[in-house]
Amino acid sequence: MDLPGSIHDFLLVSLGLVLILGGLGVVLLTNPIYSAFSLGLVLVCISLFYILSNSHFVAAAQLLIYVGAINVLILFAVMFMNGSEYSNDWNLWTVGDGITSLICTSIFISLITIISDTSWYAIIWTTRTNQILEQDLTSNADFFLPFEFISIILLVALIGAIAVARQ
Amino acid sequence: MLEHVLVLSAYLFSIGIYGLVTSRNMVRALMCLELLLNAVNINFITFSDFFDNRQLKGNIFSIFVIAIAAAEAAIGLAN
Repeated sequence: MDLPGSIHDFLLVSLGLVLILGGLGVVLLTNPIYSAFSLGLVLVCISLFYILSNSHFVAAAQLLIYVGAINVLILFAVMFMNGSEYSNDWNLWTVGDGITSLICTSIFISLITIISDTSWYAIIWTTRTNQILEQDLTSNADFFLPFEFISIILLVALIGAIAVARQ
Repeated sequence: MLEHVLVLSAYLFSIGIYGLVTSRNMVRALMCLELLLNAVNINFITFSDFFDNRQLKGNIFSIFVIAIAAAEAAIGLAN
């Protein structure tokens, strides 16, 4: 979006903070309903972030599909769970949890070092000369075949889900 | 600017991996899988915004990722 730089930065920082807290909430909250609502908050914040990044179509698709369909589906699945599955024994911080947190932290630190060591502005400078005139998302003829395959995949997946759920 | 957004998506990715591995519940694992796919989508959209502002090829690929994630969440929750 063409916002003034300071408003843009302020919105990015606030969205980033909400995303960080929401991500922690999805993983660490014990009650699965709270976790599902935290996931909904994360998805809405990601959609607002897409609006800030000039990707309005993907932001609308994210709101419709992720928040409107997938999050609702997850909430239904959470509410159909029995009470016995609620008993998350959180006083048992197992050895596996510790090892996984170490591995995930090391993955995160290695990704941060890779990101900070890459010279992004050299890549921007070299790709600036390759941009041609702006095209619509649907009029681009390169992606015609993947669109058809995606629609067939969605059809097959929905039929399969209905067939599995009927039993 | 670009690095901060990439660090944010890397953070969501690692949080998603941690939640996916340590979840004892299948619905929680599916929620963390959605987190993973969204982190990847943020990466695609950011690169598309910075490098490919005219043709939006990264945006188109992230639409595919959203559709595949929707299909997989529907099948995973039908069980």
